Amino acid sequence: MRKVSKVAKAWDRGFRVLAAIGAASPAVFLVSIAAIVLVESIPTIRFMGIHFLTETRWDMGNLYGALTHRNGITAPAGASYGALVFIVGTLLSSIIALVIAVPVSVGTALILAYRVRGPLGFLLNILVELLAGIPSVVIGLWGILVLVPWIANALAPFLKSVLGFIPFFGGQTGTGYSLLASGIVLAMMIVPIITATTRDLLMQVPLLAREGGLGIGMTSWEVVRYIALPYIREGFIGAVALGWGRAMGETMAVLMVSGNATNILPQNLYSPISTMAAFIANQLDSAETDASGMAVHALSELALLLLAITLATNLVARWLVRPRRRGGVVAP
Amino acid sequence: MKLRSKWFAGLAAVAAVGVVAGCGTSNSSSSTQNAAPSNSSQQAASVAKVTLTETGSSLLYPLFNAQWIPAYHKLHPDVQMTAASTGSGTGISDAIAGTVDIGASDAYMADAQIQQHPDMLNIPVAISAQQIMYNLPGVKGHLHLSGEVLAEIYEGKIQYWDDAKIKALNPGVKLPHQVIKPVVRSDGSGDTFLFTQYLSKSSAAWNQNYGYGTTISWPGLQTEIGAKGNQGVVAALAKTPYSIGYVGISWLDKAVQQGLGYAALENKAGKYVLPTSATIQAAAQEGVKNVPADERISLIDEPGANSYPIINFEYIIVKDDQPNAAKADALKAFLNWAINPSEGNSAKFLTPVHFLPLPTSVHAKSEAQIEKIKG
Repeated sequence: MRKVSKVAKAWDRGFRVLAAIGAASPAVFLVSIAAIVLVESIPTIRFMGIHFLTETRWDMGNLYGALTHRNGITAPAGASYGALVFIVGTLLSSIIALVIAVPVSVGTALILAYRVRGPLGFLLNILVELLAGIPSVVIGLWGILVLVPWIANALAPFLKSVLGFIPFFGGQTGTGYSLLASGIVLAMMIVPIITATTRDLLMQVPLLAREGGLGIGMTSWEVVRYIALPYIREGFIGAVALGWGRAMGETMAVLMVSGNATNILPQNLYSPISTMAAFIANQLDSAETDASGMAVHALSELALLLLAITLATNLVARWLVRPRRRGGVVAP
Repeated sequence: MKLRSKWFAGLAAVAAVGVVAGCGTSNSSSSTQNAAPSNSSQQAASVAKVTLTETGSSLLYPLFNAQWIPAYHKLHPDVQMTAASTGSGTGISDAIAGTVDIGASDAYMADAQIQQHPDMLNIPVAISAQQIMYNLPGVKGHLHLSGEVLAEIYEGKIQYWDDAKIKALNPGVKLPHQVIKPVVRSDGSGDTFLFTQYLSKSSAAWNQNYGYGTTISWPGLQTEIGAKGNQGVVAALAKTPYSIGYVGISWLDKAVQQGLGYAALENKAGKYVLPTSATIQAAAQEGVKNVPADERISLIDEPGANSYPIINFEYIIVKDDQPNAAKADALKAFLNWAINPSEGNSAKFLTPVHFLPLPTSVHAKSEAQIEKIKG
């Protein structure tokens, strides 16, 4: 047995302090961010009450006019903070992103895990990871220059003519800056996450089970449908939840293609929208010129809401993927 | 053993909270900005190194970053300056909080804010303007538009380009029966401030329902596009046929290159004028007659047959009570240089960013405000 020197002990103690700080920091950051956002939003919670969630009109009031008082709070005249437009925009755009991204990701993951080997597989894997590394502002720029005009001129009229009888697909085809453009841009950003996670899960499916399936005469599709997908189901839901969280929090790319609608709910797929994250980024500068400070408090409440929704998504996903039976895959 | 590691983690957490909280409350403004006199043996020179920091307006940023700072640093190597493009609102609030020395803004501070912070000065340093641009394939020349018609377009009351009210202003122009797509700035912006102020002065209904500000609560329209920054607005206009929007004058050339047209606007005298240096100067000459001592004034819709209706002062926001004399002196010296017509306000610096110099009478008022800065 080695004798432990004093120096080694001191190093060990130092290491433990460092490790403890490191381990504590995620909790500290989460709690302090949540606490600051919560404290900052208390004035708006008192000012607006439940109407914050149910009203569509967001008006910082006349910042160049007099201040008024309501519910014991001082605010600019005409101020009203209703976040429903942004809540709806965030949920709808992220759900459209999932509808597009999930099938694409599963298909790509299956090919990467089971079909391609060697240099081609290597290349495809690299490409998926590179897609994840594209800065969102670059995707947004592509959205403005290519995607938005294409939606306005081709995709929206096409969807309307084919699926126009379904309520949300009909109506005015708009400017291209839309719910649809936001959903497509978000889908591009979450495909890499869902694909990479699903691919790793698929590689964990025991070879014996897959060979067994093929051995009893199953087709490739049947092996995927009855053996591989059920095996990874729980982990896969976790992967989708990860993508969903990312889609709801994404700011810059959505801000550039959504049309940043305010005071109006989307009427169809081609309507302009705004998301909570993009709206906060857009409005903070003007909010800081509000002498009463209420505009900043209102944006804080929006941030609190976004934080709560993304945390809830994560918790629900974790509850869904909780270990239930032996052999199940725990979410990554 | 287990207990001890828990104790460590708890201690670390408390320490980390303390650090985070400390960052939130400490005001790191003055400590970093004033280095002591560099060397005691060189007291004879006795020039303290001073750092001046600027944040704010993205319209003023190119003037600071590419023109003023390099030129001023050559003249005064002892003054270090940094600039950041953050948006006017952040510039104002940073200057109030004292985290920067100079806030740059396209809009003057509101009365309510001045009452809370009476030590803030709003000093004009240049004149800017804004044009109304549109993407109308097949229409040549400049459309005639009025504030009232623009207000109804943005309210959604006028929906098509061939509306009778637009036709009445443009006899002989063949306008298409297409839906108008209004473009607005989604981020807080001095351009929104100017445009909505023009609408408020032209239309009582607009003033009543929407008012003006760096961000306003726009009428919700399905056809409306919210775009970020002047470049975002220009891109949206260029890619969207039958759109209309407002763009800062420094973007005029780039936008015209992309095929956009710009309107001749109705002024107070009922004439339709294009934004040129002559019409902007004419409006400024009218506007300066009413400039108060604190220089917070709108220059929108000035009288005069040749006055362009949407012009404004570009402001520098500073505190009149500076932490020390060295900083106050450096700030005064820089601001006096910046508004000097043969130095910072010369065409050499202003023309590249399409600003115009301050008229003489305003120059005197700005000088008087700069004198108020004390250490």
